[in-house]
Amino acid sequence: MLVRTRVGEYLVREDLYYTDTDEWVRVSGDEAVVGITDYAQKKLKYIVSVELSSAGREVRRGEVIATLESVKAIADVYSPLDGLLLEVNEALVTSPDMLNKDPYGAGWIAKLRVTGSLPKLMSPEEYADYIRKREGSG
Amino acid sequence: MREVPLVELHRRYGGSLGEFGGWLTSFDFGDPVAEHLAVRNAVAFFDVSHMGRFVVRGRRVFEFLQKVFAKDLSKVKEGYMSGPALLLNEAAGMIDDVMLYRVKEDLWYAVVNAPRISRDFEWLSTWRGRLGFSDVEIEDVTSSTTLIAIQGPKSLEVLEGLGVKEAGSLRILQFVEDVEVLGGRVTLVSRSGWTGEEVRSHGFEIWAPVELGWRIFEKLVELGVRPAGLIARDTLRLEAGYLLSGVDFDESTNPVEARYWMAFDLDKRGYVGYEKLEERYREGVDRVRVGLRFKKGVRLVPRRGDPILVGGREVGYVTSGTYSMYLERAAAMGYVSSRYAYLGGTAYVSCRGRLYEAKIVEPPFI
Repeated sequence: MLVRTRVGEYLVREDLYYTDTDEWVRVSGDEAVVGITDYAQKKLKYIVSVELSSAGREVRRGEVIATLESVKAIADVYSPLDGLLLEVNEALVTSPDMLNKDPYGAGWIAKLRVTGSLPKLMSPEEYADYIRKREGSG
Repeated sequence: MREVPLVELHRRYGGSLGEFGGWLTSFDFGDPVAEHLAVRNAVAFFDVSHMGRFVVRGRRVFEFLQKVFAKDLSKVKEGYMSGPALLLNEAAGMIDDVMLYRVKEDLWYAVVNAPRISRDFEWLSTWRGRLGFSDVEIEDVTSSTTLIAIQGPKSLEVLEGLGVKEAGSLRILQFVEDVEVLGGRVTLVSRSGWTGEEVRSHGFEIWAPVELGWRIFEKLVELGVRPAGLIARDTLRLEAGYLLSGVDFDESTNPVEARYWMAFDLDKRGYVGYEKLEERYREGVDRVRVGLRFKKGVRLVPRRGDPILVGGREVGYVTSGTYSMYLERAAAMGYVSSRYAYLGGTAYVSCRGRLYEAKIVEPPFI
């Protein structure tokens, strides 16, 4: 099964959901893992520092759960859903480059327990179109 | 936006393209950290063809350049580059720092910063007219040529791999013209760069026609040399303490404040901007450029405009900053009130509302 697709230089995984603020979400049961997309990390370029929310906190959809600082910009990462922050990826504090090297894997940002109903998220196809739209290529 | 002539090769080899100084070129080739470290520890190459290239010729070319540049070019020997030389406006503001090549008595080359190509060209043309040097010709050859910088301690091996036999005997800032490379002839090969080569390693730059530049780029990839982009170039130059035109200085800054000593001479007189410059030097300046060295492990990118504090008082601002993966700390340059330019002392830099301790230092950081 094809699990990844390319939009130009950007990788979109087919087994994930996406947000319009460039987070990805993997939902299994009542747990969700969140990170930033390959598109987001490539736009930010070299990420040098990561500030994380504390685990154990209730967060609402759209709330900031991490702040990334790259050579290009400072970017907030938003929770894609209502939930309880079970765990944040502390390894990113000392190795923020994992966000660049493996955004869909070792660069995950937070694990949440979903407490509300799942919001509408983008499918991989929708997210790929969303990238294309912003890149002005259709 | 203009594209660098070899942009297709950038795409082919994974360049992540973006705009800099009006040009579409690569910010990185996938891993700016590895690119930076390759320059410090081994070798990498940069296509810096976005920088402007001018040919200046004519019997009185030396006399003309002496009148428009703030650096004493009589110290530049034939076959050598000048090092950065400043173009000043009449108020002694810095238009650009330019690398000049003394080819022969009636022929010089110039490499200028990408965002300043048209400003520099117009400025030189204006003064050519004003000073009566109509016999001096200035030609912009940026689009028809490429400039490739091979940087790092293993650069010489790479030049040998390209068959440039003369490379080993070149001294810093020396160049050879019209050299055979890969069966073609390049304009010149110089021992130079902008990554800290004077401090650490010994880089080379190759100025070549586009078609030959294309083959050199491909040959370098084939030789296993990593292509590198603007992010690594910026972090390398910052470590080396080099100023970036338009960022660490501009026309509202004078070279005394910037302490850009290597790029101008006060014992030479009669050049554009000299009078005001001499006056500034004599009367003293209110602000000076300093380096800021953060503590080890501080992961941070100090941004342009971040306030610098000494003794709890805001005394200056950052002009450029980076996180150096090589030094494992943040480093920055900025201007502080000359009253508080306590070299060796402590300052605080306010980044995103938080204060970070830094030492006021004289760059380079490496």
